[in-house]
Amino acid sequence: MESLNLLAGGLADALTPMNLLWVFIGAFLGTAVGVLPGLGSSMAVALLLPVTFTLDPTAAFIMFAGVYFGGLFGDSTMAILVNTPGGSTAIASTFEGHRMTLTGRGPQALATAAIGAFVGGLLASVIVVLFAPKLADLAVNFGPPEYLALSVLAFVATATVVSTSLAKGLASLVFGLTFAVIGIDGISGAQRFTFGAPQLFDGISIIVITVGVLALGEVFHVASRVRRTRPGRLHKITGRPYLSRAEVREAAPAWGRGALIGAPFGVIPVGGAEIPTFLAYGGERALDRRRKHPQFGKGAIRGLAAPEAAGNATAGTAIGALLAMGLPTSATAAIMLAAFRQYGLQPGPLLFTRSADLVWTLIASLFIGLVVLLVLNLPFAPLWAKLTKIPRHYLYAGIAVFCGLGVYATSAAVTDLILVLGIGFLGFLLRRYDFPLAPIMIGVVLGPLAETSLRNALLSSGGDYGVLVDSGISVTIYAALVLVLVFVAYRGLRARAARDV
Amino acid sequence: MSQATVAPAPSHWGTGRSGLVLAGLILAFAIYLTVGIITMTVPDGAEPPGPKFFPIILAVACYALAVMLTVHYVRRPEAPADTDGVETIEEPEGVRHKSFTDWRTLGLTMAGFLAFALLLDPIGWILAAALMFWVIAWAMGSGSPLKDVAVALVLSCAVQVAFSAGLGLHLPAGILDGVL
Repeated sequence: MESLNLLAGGLADALTPMNLLWVFIGAFLGTAVGVLPGLGSSMAVALLLPVTFTLDPTAAFIMFAGVYFGGLFGDSTMAILVNTPGGSTAIASTFEGHRMTLTGRGPQALATAAIGAFVGGLLASVIVVLFAPKLADLAVNFGPPEYLALSVLAFVATATVVSTSLAKGLASLVFGLTFAVIGIDGISGAQRFTFGAPQLFDGISIIVITVGVLALGEVFHVASRVRRTRPGRLHKITGRPYLSRAEVREAAPAWGRGALIGAPFGVIPVGGAEIPTFLAYGGERALDRRRKHPQFGKGAIRGLAAPEAAGNATAGTAIGALLAMGLPTSATAAIMLAAFRQYGLQPGPLLFTRSADLVWTLIASLFIGLVVLLVLNLPFAPLWAKLTKIPRHYLYAGIAVFCGLGVYATSAAVTDLILVLGIGFLGFLLRRYDFPLAPIMIGVVLGPLAETSLRNALLSSGGDYGVLVDSGISVTIYAALVLVLVFVAYRGLRARAARDV
Repeated sequence: MSQATVAPAPSHWGTGRSGLVLAGLILAFAIYLTVGIITMTVPDGAEPPGPKFFPIILAVACYALAVMLTVHYVRRPEAPADTDGVETIEEPEGVRHKSFTDWRTLGLTMAGFLAFALLLDPIGWILAAALMFWVIAWAMGSGSPLKDVAVALVLSCAVQVAFSAGLGLHLPAGILDGVL
């Protein structure tokens, strides 16, 4: 009940005209980048990060939350209408969603996706209200060994689960960790890997890395292919997106199941909502096969409803995990964590006591953001699809300009622009060779936490490594890590067996 | 660089193995870390585990991953994957390119950004950003260079106004100093 009172207070704070404006801008931008293939909420947050430093933190974070949810609302639009997912989280929505369009039910597909995303986000936000404070209470007991265990879990899970190959995922992670050790060491004051260059004393700015990997890298990636590919054809649809009562009844259980599948993945660091969306899709397909008249393959509304709900449920609880434990479970959440630090705030249990106003305003704005997004997406999805008419050469030239703006605005240093160019090229190489990008962001953001936790733990124990597995919490986290590795090994063996046949 | 996906591409040992460049890159990171660790001056009184502890773990991981990636690409060459959801409709059959990557467009795009970085202070935001926009749009195949000039200038001016006046961010005026 205490949570509800705090939430009511947060709602009152969030409903100021200025904050509503930020929610709206965030939702608008998020939907836009979600709709455009190749752009996602992580890139939008990376590009917004530098320009939001002039805002107060509350405004910045409610905007980021709108972008995060909005990206997941928007990405299904192109999946449904063009058969090109707006992002990896919409791949699972493409299968049945596009079939619905082909059978003339495009408007219904758009409505199913928008409502599904809303339901998933809503359920997750309720979970955050009820459980985030409890999670924060638990996290109060975390010391350096527990934070180390949490970071290691995040590193290994993101690097192994999403990646097609273990070596690629770990390589991406190590690139991130290496960027993070450059600069003056916070504990001893030693200069590390600067080779005397004063520009590197403060380390490589997180903005240079995020903008380089996520935004400029994407521009270069598109440049490397733009003259050899053509955008997919947009299916014209007529009629307003709406659902009949029968369709709602058909989709409702799938929305619910999808949201329930997606919610736990916000706390499990597997690099975002891709896995839960596929699990939700697979689950619905398995259930469908047992029905009298299987719908999958003919444009099953449930095959679209479940992954959409799952994706936003994951995003919602990911914000909860970020606030309560300081644990980022996706690239977007990792950048938001970096943003908190830039404001001198440390997400985690203390945030709930020290900055309770900010936390509850942010959580309340999740609900407002979802309503705004539903209003923006349900009636206007066909309009959003027109965004793809922007010629790609203008779109990506514009993104390059904003990359330059963001980096220069934070440091006013030409060296940072040269650095971002180099890191952008690395981002291109990683995309070209199909390396996952989430591990590099998690590595950059959590690397310093892992290192200081490890060193502080060993300092206080006098070099006794036993301290790392001394508490029940850290043992539990390492057990979870073992489970993740067993799952990855099992999946790898099964894939290998399938290939031999 | 690997061959384009259009079959049948003449294959040689390097086909599908260009990913070795990333094994090389991570080896370069490993060497950078190693040199940095050896030359690092640790302040007196730094208690163990000191500032070298974590980088040593990273350097070892880098060497190991360089080997793992090399083995990966030598044993199993892979075709370029275009699985990231970007539009994948290829050009008509029969068109064959020497490499999967369009190095000319990529090179021009990167050169555009480099020019922006180097010219920003001397000639100012409006001209440098507009130049970058124009170069990238042209490199990516825009067919109307004159219209692009207008679009580029409108965008860079709009950003200058919105961010200098609106958010109070400093952007260099360059040679237009005084005009603005």
